[in-house]
Amino acid sequence: MSAKVAIVGIGQTALRTSADDRIYHEHDYEAARLALADAGLDRGDVDTVICSGWDAVDGRTISDMHTAMSSGGYLKDSSHVGEDGIMALAYAYMRIAAGLFDVAMVTAHGHAESSFETVSNVVFDPLFVRPLGQSHLVSLALQANAYAHRYGVSDEQAAGVVVKNRGNGAVNPRTHLRSSVTPEDVLSSDPVCYPLRALHCPPQSVGGVALVLCSEEMTRRISEKPVWVTGIAWAIDSYDLGSKDLTSLSSLSSAAQKAYGMAGISDPLRALDLAELHDITPFHELLAYEALGLAPEGGASRLVEAGDTARGGRLPVNPSGGVVCGNPYGAAGLLRAAEAALQLRGEAGQGQVPGPERALAHGMSAPSGAAARTDCVVIMEGG
Amino acid sequence: MTQEEENIIVPGRWDLPFRHTAGRIASHFFHALVEKRIIATRCPRCRRVLMPPRPFCERCFVPLDEWVEVKQQGTLEAFTVCYARFTGLPDPPYCLALVKLDGADTALNHLLGEAELEDVERMKETVRIGMRVEAVWRDEREGGIQDIKYFRPLA
Repeated sequence: MSAKVAIVGIGQTALRTSADDRIYHEHDYEAARLALADAGLDRGDVDTVICSGWDAVDGRTISDMHTAMSSGGYLKDSSHVGEDGIMALAYAYMRIAAGLFDVAMVTAHGHAESSFETVSNVVFDPLFVRPLGQSHLVSLALQANAYAHRYGVSDEQAAGVVVKNRGNGAVNPRTHLRSSVTPEDVLSSDPVCYPLRALHCPPQSVGGVALVLCSEEMTRRISEKPVWVTGIAWAIDSYDLGSKDLTSLSSLSSAAQKAYGMAGISDPLRALDLAELHDITPFHELLAYEALGLAPEGGASRLVEAGDTARGGRLPVNPSGGVVCGNPYGAAGLLRAAEAALQLRGEAGQGQVPGPERALAHGMSAPSGAAARTDCVVIMEGG
Repeated sequence: MTQEEENIIVPGRWDLPFRHTAGRIASHFFHALVEKRIIATRCPRCRRVLMPPRPFCERCFVPLDEWVEVKQQGTLEAFTVCYARFTGLPDPPYCLALVKLDGADTALNHLLGEAELEDVERMKETVRIGMRVEAVWRDEREGGIQDIKYFRPLA
């Protein structure tokens, strides 16, 4: 068994549509301050900071380094990931597990100074793909269509996922879109990229997320409500959309198997008390159920129809409302980990799942949508 | 500092010139497109025909130097029709497709043309995953992916 690492501080700023009153690194700053206060630590206690960011979204190159100061990194060890913040969590986990540091700050932000669809086009290969108008959402829609076609997933079944998550988000004061929707609202919303409709697509949210991670020894000393990371793994799949089976999430399956092995989980549907998944579209929440071994291939929508993944169901999925309610691009995956940790502490508010002991958080790091997808799975347990 | 003060917005844009090299493999592919031929590389180990061609097989991790010509007809593996307008992306509606050409084991990203896209219901009746499509060539070909104008449904 590897060294134990805990999440001891959680910081989330409000999520909103725009924030002209601040520069984007102030989101990281506010979230980092909140996470330190939550942990009962100050900047001097932090050994290493891991920041994250996407250059084109932030409008400057190596933007993940720019946020080191706003994460408390002045003259400290620091590393940066041009990925979703869930991968910053993975880096921080390894740095502590390696025994090099006791306290790590992990930060991520989302902002909206440009359209994510516009800038995601430059993620794609300039020779073969970019000139065709490929983007984040376009590639996700290709995958959604391939999956829905293969398994006969209906518009109503996809709408059911949105209705569940938006209903959960309606009672989560920390998320961005806090209103429930009906199946009719979803089915009559404007087509965006077939089969995706406007209400299938997440907002582009502005805000920051930060977590403080700690070594076991330090955690025992300072934290009364630690959330232990008992499994963590990640994997990437092909850069080329045409080289993969679009009807499954192979990188997520691979990451999940490794994380389950580490946490000693053989039957995830039974072993987990809740999951926060990166539902970038409702079809991708369904795909994730299958990759995580919660449903057989093609069988995910039945879980939603049976209410198994509703807040009062067998395995509540996205009790926070998920990404469809709040989507700071680049921080949405880390936000899944923050929300899962809040649940294990019993501090999720009205959306609290009763007495959870073990949770799964899943973050996707892929500005290219369905292409070159990196998935990270974190299993966590309450103290 | 007063609450009433307006927040200043400074407009910005990135317009950076690059010269993207296609390298020897993609260059060979693009030269063939000028002659209305579609060629791919075959992996000597797993025997998959990889389209678009690439210099190595990511699964077997071996170099690829065997070329095969694939057909200009194929099957629509996946598609989406973009109905929303996004800055910098093509005018809607446009159909982005993954086409598996006969003789290839992987699919090519390209556009679907000569299909009814304007009306969603009409589109759903006429564009289907699994349908047969063929390449339509540009008259003026310059050695790039858009030498193929688009793929169109086979009657």
